[in-house]
Amino acid sequence: METIPEVVERISQKIEAKGVTVDREKVRSKLTLLVEEFGIQIEEAERTVTNELLREHNLFTPPSSGQEERAISDVTPGDWVTVEGKIVSLAEPPSSAIAQSGIIADSSGAVQFVVWAKAKAPTLKERTWYRLEAAVVDEYRGAPNLKVHSGTKVTELPEDRPLMPSVVPIASLKPGVGSIRAKFIEEWEPRHDRMLQTGLLGDESGRIKFVLWKDGEREKLEPNGVYTFYYATVDEFNGRLSLNLGTAMYIPEDGDIRVSTGGETIQGAFVHMGPGSGLIKRCPVEGCNRVLSRQNYCPVHEIQSSFRYDLRIKGVIDNGKKARNVLMQCETVTQLAGMTLEQAIEIAENNPLGLDDVLIQLQHHVMGKYLRCAGSDIDGTFLVKECGRVQCDASLHASLINRAAASQGDDAA
Amino acid sequence: MSNGSSGKFSGFEREPAVRVFASELRESRIQFKESEDEKSPSYVLLPTGERCNRIFLCGQMTQKEKKGEQNKFYTIRVQDPTGTFFINAGSYQPDAMQQIARIEPPVYVAVLGKPGIRTTADSSVFVSVRAESVTEIDLETYRCWVLDCAQQTLDRLDSFGQTDDSRKAKEFYNTNTAIYRQIIQDALTQIEIQ
Repeated sequence: METIPEVVERISQKIEAKGVTVDREKVRSKLTLLVEEFGIQIEEAERTVTNELLREHNLFTPPSSGQEERAISDVTPGDWVTVEGKIVSLAEPPSSAIAQSGIIADSSGAVQFVVWAKAKAPTLKERTWYRLEAAVVDEYRGAPNLKVHSGTKVTELPEDRPLMPSVVPIASLKPGVGSIRAKFIEEWEPRHDRMLQTGLLGDESGRIKFVLWKDGEREKLEPNGVYTFYYATVDEFNGRLSLNLGTAMYIPEDGDIRVSTGGETIQGAFVHMGPGSGLIKRCPVEGCNRVLSRQNYCPVHEIQSSFRYDLRIKGVIDNGKKARNVLMQCETVTQLAGMTLEQAIEIAENNPLGLDDVLIQLQHHVMGKYLRCAGSDIDGTFLVKECGRVQCDASLHASLINRAAASQGDDAA
Repeated sequence: MSNGSSGKFSGFEREPAVRVFASELRESRIQFKESEDEKSPSYVLLPTGERCNRIFLCGQMTQKEKKGEQNKFYTIRVQDPTGTFFINAGSYQPDAMQQIARIEPPVYVAVLGKPGIRTTADSSVFVSVRAESVTEIDLETYRCWVLDCAQQTLDRLDSFGQTDDSRKAKEFYNTNTAIYRQIIQDALTQIEIQ
C-alpha cells in the first residue's frame, strides 16, 4: 500500500503540471482526514482530493468519452455527450435538488434536460445557445434526459443560429420531445384542479391526448383550431403517449386538417355485461355528468335531488384470442337492442324490478351474440360508434368445410 | 411502443374465451397453474394444443337438474354438433344460477365458463364447465358459433407442433390431428346456412 506522503506528492505534481502552485500541507491534511478519520480507501481518497483541487482551480476536465460531440437527436441513455443547442423552454423545477429543467434543441431534434442544484452551473437563459460538455444522458419515464452535473462544462455561445424544429406526424411521436401540427378535436373535462385544459389532438396520422397545466400564463386552445406545437413533452404512461403542452410553444395556423378517425372494427361474441350497464342516472351539475349511485349520490357533488337518465352498455367482446372492454352509448344501445331511452325509463318507472328489468332485457338482446363494432380504442376501452349483429356467412361455411377436408390427407401422412 | 393492454404496468388482462367443441373438451386431461399463487389462473390444456382458462360455447340445452340440499346447484347439459358439455353453476355463480333458473330446455344457449377436470371416486375422469353466464340465443347465433369454433380449432390444428402449448399437447395426448379435422367437417356439415 502506498503511503500518504507518496500520494500527496503525486497529487501535487498532477495539479502543478497545469501551472498552479499547490499547498502540499493542505493536500496532506485533506488526504489524512479522508483516510484516517473516515477510513476511506487511499485510491478513492486520491481521486476525491484531486478532483476537489482541480475544481478549486477551475481546471476540471471531463473524462475523454464526454468530448464526443453529438446531434441532439442521436443522444441515447447511458452516453456521456457534448452537445450544442438552444434552450427552447424552461420549466418550474419539480424538486429543490434540481436547479433548472427544460428542453434544449438543435436542428436535429430536442431533448429534456435537468441541471442539478449541486452542479453549480451558470443559470441557463431561454432562447440562448450553449455548449454542454460531458453531460450524461439517462432515461426518465421512457425518454432520454440530459443531466448537467458538476463535471459538465457549460459555455454560452455568442451567436444565434437558425433553428427550425422538425414537425412530425402524431403517429411517429416517441417519448421525449416532439413538434406537431394538429387540430384540437375533442375537449375533455379537466379531472384535476391544476389542469387548465385537456382533450384530444389529431392529424392525418393519428390522435393523441394532451394536457395543459395551469402553471404560468398559458392560453387555452380554441376547439377545432389548428395549431403548430413546438417542443411539447411526450410522456408515456401504460404504453400510451400523451402530450404535455407545459413546455410547448403553440401558434394558431390557418387551414384545416383531415383528422384520422383512428377507427377500427372488432368482431366477436358479447360475453359479459359489466356493472354500470343499463339505465343510469347522471349528475345534473353543469359540466359534471358523473354517474350517480342508486341513492343519487355523486362522488363530487354528493346527494342530488334531480338527475338526467342515460342508457349505456359496458361489456366485453371476445374473439377467442382477446377480450376487449367496450362501451356503447345510448344511440348504439338503441340500434342494437331496439330499446330507446324513453322505453327504458318507462320500464324502470312502471315495473316492480325497475332498473334491473332494463338490464335483464338488454342482456337478453346482446349476451352471447356475435357482434361487429366500429369505433376507436381510448385507454383500453373500445368506444363503439356503430354496431350490428354478425350474420352467418355461407361462403365462410363452405370454405371451412373445404379447409377441414383438404388437409386431412396431409395430417394422416 | 407497446399497446395499452400488453404494457408493463397494465396489470390485469381478462382471459379470452377459447372456442372448443364438446368432443375435444371431453378428451382434455391436463389442468395446470403457472405459479404457486392461489389467485393465479388455472388452465386446461386442450388436445389441439392451446391452454384455456375460460371457454365460450353454444348449443342446445337438453337437460336441467337442480341438485344439493343445503348448497343448491344446477347442472345442465348442452349439446353441440360433436357431443355434450356438462355445465354446472352453484351459489358462487349467482348470476349463472339465476339465468339458468329462468331457462327451460330445450332451447339454444350460449355459455361462458371455466373448464375443470376432476377424477371421480371410481377413477374415471370427468370434464365439466363452471358457468359464469348462461343465456338463451337464437339458431343464427348457434350457427355463427359452430363456424367460429370450427375456424379457431382449424387454426390450432394448422399451427400444431409450432407453439409451446401444442408441443406439450403432442407429448401428452399424442393428438391425431386428422381425427379432429374429421370432427370439424362433420360438425360443419350438420348445420345448414342459406
